[in-house]
Amino acid sequence: MTVHNIRVGESKRGDASDGGADAVGGRLSRVDGPAKITGAAKYAVEQQLDGLAYAVLVESTIASGKVRSIDTSVAEAAPGVLKVLTPDIIISLRTASDWFGTPPPDAPYCPLARDVTFSGQHVAAVVAETFEQAVAAAALVEVSYYETPAIVDLSDAKAGDGIPIDAMTKEWGDAQAAFASAPVRICAAYNTPREYQAPMEPHGLIAHWEGDKLTVWEPSQWLDGMARTYAEWFDVPFENVRLVSPYIGGGFGSKALALSHGAVAASAAKMLGRPVRLVMTRPQTFTGYGGRAATRQTVTIGADRQGKIQSIVHRGINETSIDGMWVEPLGSVTSIMYATPNFSSKQNVVRVNSVVPGAMRAPGENPSAFGIESAIDELAYEVGIDPLEIRLRNYAEQDPEAKKAWSTRQLREAFAAGAERFGWAKRTPEPRSMRDGNQLIGWGVAAGTYPVRRAYGEAIVRILADGSVEVESSSIDMGQGTYTILAQTAAETVGVPADNVVVKLGDSRFPRAGVAGGSRLAGVMTGAVYKAATSALDQLVGLAISDPRSPFHALQANTLVVANGRISSPRGDGPDLSIAELLSSVGRDHIEATGDTMPANSTAQDRYKNYTTIAMAVPHTEGDYSRHSWCAHFIEVRVDEDFGTVRVSRVVSALDSGRLYNPKLAESQWKGGIIMGIGQALLEEGIVDRRHGRIVNNNLADYLVPTNADIPDIEVISVGIPDLHSSVLGGKGVGELAIVGVAPAIANAVFHATGKRVRDLPITLEKLI
Amino acid sequence: MRDFSYLRAGSVEAARQAAALPGAMLLAGGTTLIDLAKCGVAEPDSLVDITHLKGLDKVEVSERGATIGALAKMGHVADHADIKSRFPAVSEALWQAASAQIRNMATIGGNLMQRTRCPYFRDPSNFPACNKREPGSGCSALGGVTRGHAVLGTSEACIAMYPGDLAAALVAFDAIVHLGERRVPVDDFFLVPGTTPEREHAIEPGEMITAIEIPHSAAARRSTYLKIRDRQSYEFAAASAAVGIEFEADGRTIRDLRVALGGVATKPWRARAVEEALKGKVLGPDAVRAASLLAVEGAVDHGANHYKIELAPRVVARAILKMGETA
Amino acid sequence: MTSQTKTTIPVHLDINGHRHTLQLEPRVTLLDALRDRLGLTGTKKGCDHGQCGACTVHVDGERVLACLTLAAQVEGRTVTTIEGLAREGELHPVQAAFLEQDAFQCGYCTPGQIMSAVACIREGHAGSDEEIREYMAGNLCRCGAYPHIVAAVRQAALEVQS
Repeated sequence: MTVHNIRVGESKRGDASDGGADAVGGRLSRVDGPAKITGAAKYAVEQQLDGLAYAVLVESTIASGKVRSIDTSVAEAAPGVLKVLTPDIIISLRTASDWFGTPPPDAPYCPLARDVTFSGQHVAAVVAETFEQAVAAAALVEVSYYETPAIVDLSDAKAGDGIPIDAMTKEWGDAQAAFASAPVRICAAYNTPREYQAPMEPHGLIAHWEGDKLTVWEPSQWLDGMARTYAEWFDVPFENVRLVSPYIGGGFGSKALALSHGAVAASAAKMLGRPVRLVMTRPQTFTGYGGRAATRQTVTIGADRQGKIQSIVHRGINETSIDGMWVEPLGSVTSIMYATPNFSSKQNVVRVNSVVPGAMRAPGENPSAFGIESAIDELAYEVGIDPLEIRLRNYAEQDPEAKKAWSTRQLREAFAAGAERFGWAKRTPEPRSMRDGNQLIGWGVAAGTYPVRRAYGEAIVRILADGSVEVESSSIDMGQGTYTILAQTAAETVGVPADNVVVKLGDSRFPRAGVAGGSRLAGVMTGAVYKAATSALDQLVGLAISDPRSPFHALQANTLVVANGRISSPRGDGPDLSIAELLSSVGRDHIEATGDTMPANSTAQDRYKNYTTIAMAVPHTEGDYSRHSWCAHFIEVRVDEDFGTVRVSRVVSALDSGRLYNPKLAESQWKGGIIMGIGQALLEEGIVDRRHGRIVNNNLADYLVPTNADIPDIEVISVGIPDLHSSVLGGKGVGELAIVGVAPAIANAVFHATGKRVRDLPITLEKLI
Repeated sequence: MRDFSYLRAGSVEAARQAAALPGAMLLAGGTTLIDLAKCGVAEPDSLVDITHLKGLDKVEVSERGATIGALAKMGHVADHADIKSRFPAVSEALWQAASAQIRNMATIGGNLMQRTRCPYFRDPSNFPACNKREPGSGCSALGGVTRGHAVLGTSEACIAMYPGDLAAALVAFDAIVHLGERRVPVDDFFLVPGTTPEREHAIEPGEMITAIEIPHSAAARRSTYLKIRDRQSYEFAAASAAVGIEFEADGRTIRDLRVALGGVATKPWRARAVEEALKGKVLGPDAVRAASLLAVEGAVDHGANHYKIELAPRVVARAILKMGETA
Repeated sequence: MTSQTKTTIPVHLDINGHRHTLQLEPRVTLLDALRDRLGLTGTKKGCDHGQCGACTVHVDGERVLACLTLAAQVEGRTVTTIEGLAREGELHPVQAAFLEQDAFQCGYCTPGQIMSAVACIREGHAGSDEEIREYMAGNLCRCGAYPHIVAAVRQAALEVQS
């Protein structure tokens, strides 16, 4: 029985213009908005619990060495102190598996360090009756160290060349030979510094044990993954851990994993038999988890005199920590953006004394695009071709690496739409050829891309006695709009107004979901909710047709129409009932259906692995297609010729994220990515004191992120078309795409304005003065 | 933050007496003091809250000049009609400082007492050596990350930059700090570190800033504050200049010129050499640019802050030329 | 002069039209008093050092930062938080404009943005987009909602003025 066909938007823009705001593709305002604008939205650590105790971390002040001793006596005697935790005074935990689910060594895990591998590592914690008492007592913990020399960054003489990562090697043709014989050759090095996610909500949690059951209120991009880690640490069944994360104050990749501060808080809660709250200070957020790794790339391009690429040779390195491994895939855009018959990319990682770097908005693609999209701009000037034209000349008609067709690639359309709107044709090619008084004006272009990562999720959809619809999922909303698009999906699929849908997220007791990362969640969860809602609707219509008590029973219909909360026959004859009236007539108080995006014969073990690890994610080149989002950024900068200050004055970006489930919210995410890219290009840099191996600008006054005054109006244009190879409803990724390519577009614009090529981010005034 | 007692002063006299006790500090807007207490830099035993004192928040502009009560809020002074018209550089320095919220909290007196943003000064647990905090303990900034440190007025003991904006305008226009009855020219109120970087102001225990007085001048009336920074707003200056100018009747010859720098020195930095070089000269781009180089006479960089030596004269020149354009 | 020793003191607070009496250590900030003692968690803690604006509240009608204000300091003054902005269930025009313009994503900086915007309009600093950007610069938003925040303030300013 088919009761509903999903309407894929006919619109070329990918925004379904049918169905109004409530339907998928409509511009429905955030359904979680009213809670957020009135202060009613309670974030994880804002839960009010009786008996709550407060924990504050003590961090290492050396980057390398061993803890010699910790004197806790003064702190323990301080008012209100309940417990001082040290490596010697903490319960023993087990090592947890990594996010691939790799079985861990059978070794104890201590979240407080005896062996110090970076400055800012947790070495102790103080728990007290009040926050103020805990803060004051933490300052009284005396730690002494045996200090050893640290490797402070990539330029440290002790750092070496690093570890080759063979899995990152990509080669076809003979890139070196083709480069050597190319008539035009460019070669340059591009560097990006440590960058930080800096979500406005600091990391933290409340941990509460009841017997051997643990509840953790913690901002999380991945409830099931984090619950698994807590369960393994504390050696309790997965079902005994409940993660609750109703709202997340920004993550950008940083809130996907359970981290050592969580282990400290949950240990303290267990030791004290009380709920414990631990929130990092803002400075601690710069060392309590990893930001984007510092990277270095060399990009060499060999081309003919018409700018046609013959060879790309790419080498990259990124920082990782002494005892952790983070690979920032630096060849990810390099290998697919342009057609080239010869290609070589290799990557090393270098161990330094820092916290292990982590995921930050478009890990890999972001720095990768800074390299290749700067380099092709350099090639454009070298051969005297417009930077937009050279990109079209080297347009990749298929995935050059996978040698597969693109599922959809509206990049040519993005270049065209963006260029027209921006007025690119009016650009004068010479550097320093456009000015307004003291301000040099530059126009730059760059492209971006992000792969479509696909994974799994499940959801419950209930149709309740009052005719309203309830959706439950352990997926999360950190501002991407999950609440809203799932309400739209359920509303459209069942046939009720979005106002009548309640979406419940952020509780690991709900049906499971994989990580909200890699821009995959919307595609996964709209698919799961669509399936669950379709199944619920099938049940509803089935009851209406077949239950003898139903007013429709006599109609002998094959199907019925549900729209706007009412049921009727397709021909309009017969009864017209509200859903509530129908359910009442057949004596049901609700209908419930579960839907998921899993393969049909999945076992319980498969499901556990799918939702709690990333091992089962589907490759974006699976099957016949290569699936990616695409974008083109056109950016104007104004550079003060005396001061070297760069201000972005205009941005037009055209983006292909496939079908947009809610254009209003997708546009917001795109603009947010662009704005973070502006920060990356001009402001953001973790600055290391090389004597101490310590980040010294570990706060929001010194680690500069853009303010409102730094951001002009930004125009975004959707050029996507529904891509059913990428997701059930035709969408591709939104959240990470738009940051990719912003920094090179700005660097290219700065070159156009000034004639200076800046290859080290950020582009601060001393580099132009 | 260490525990402290809280007292609310009922009068200026009571506040002075309470603040003179060991371990006591005056609390006004709190934007520096509470911040530094959280950093573990300020460790008062008692705070004497003066924000409820009456009558110290007035802004009065008379024939002599402006008198700004010590408890007037930065935001209010910035928006005051007579300050905007008679002392534009003062208003501009104020509204470009910090954020609107902080300007609604921070007082004019407290603003003068603002401490450096040196990251080593602000982080005692990681950087115990700081001559400003602990005289004789050394300077962690020397040899460290110095991008934001001073190039003028430094010593071997301290290179911490004075971060304020308002004070640059005040020293340019010869403002006077009222410490009750005692009057101190604002240029003398701020001290260079020398061998005593812990002593930043010419204020004695038991004294309290009660007002700032800015005399009228034609140069103050035709003045501006130009602030250059990495971020467009909500950031301290990379380099800034308070400039005021008065022309002879011909409208071209400089009769009086005032120049002071922010963001580059250990105290608000009056650039008298620039002033003297241009007084009596006809305003023109080449002369102004050449003279502006004198603003950084004697500057010493520590590597990453070298750009300030390049930048500051350009900021001065732009500000002077801008004042000339509006002739 | 009234003098209080260390440990706790009684502090009387007038918040959103309600009187509260708390027994507090003098070092407790207004922000922590709101969030930890009164359950008024709409006011957010982003940096605790006056660097982000997430804790913006109104004291005697003016926008200030609750993280750098001691609770004891505002005794005798009136405090308004995001929870007190909507009157009798009616959203303030700034709140409505934030929803309509999608001027937020994660929502964590939003209460501070809204409290700041209400004051920005009241101060007369919402006269142009450029002025709004400058006078809203003390409220960081890492999701990057700035263009929509400007649109919301512009829209609300017109409504409030008319």
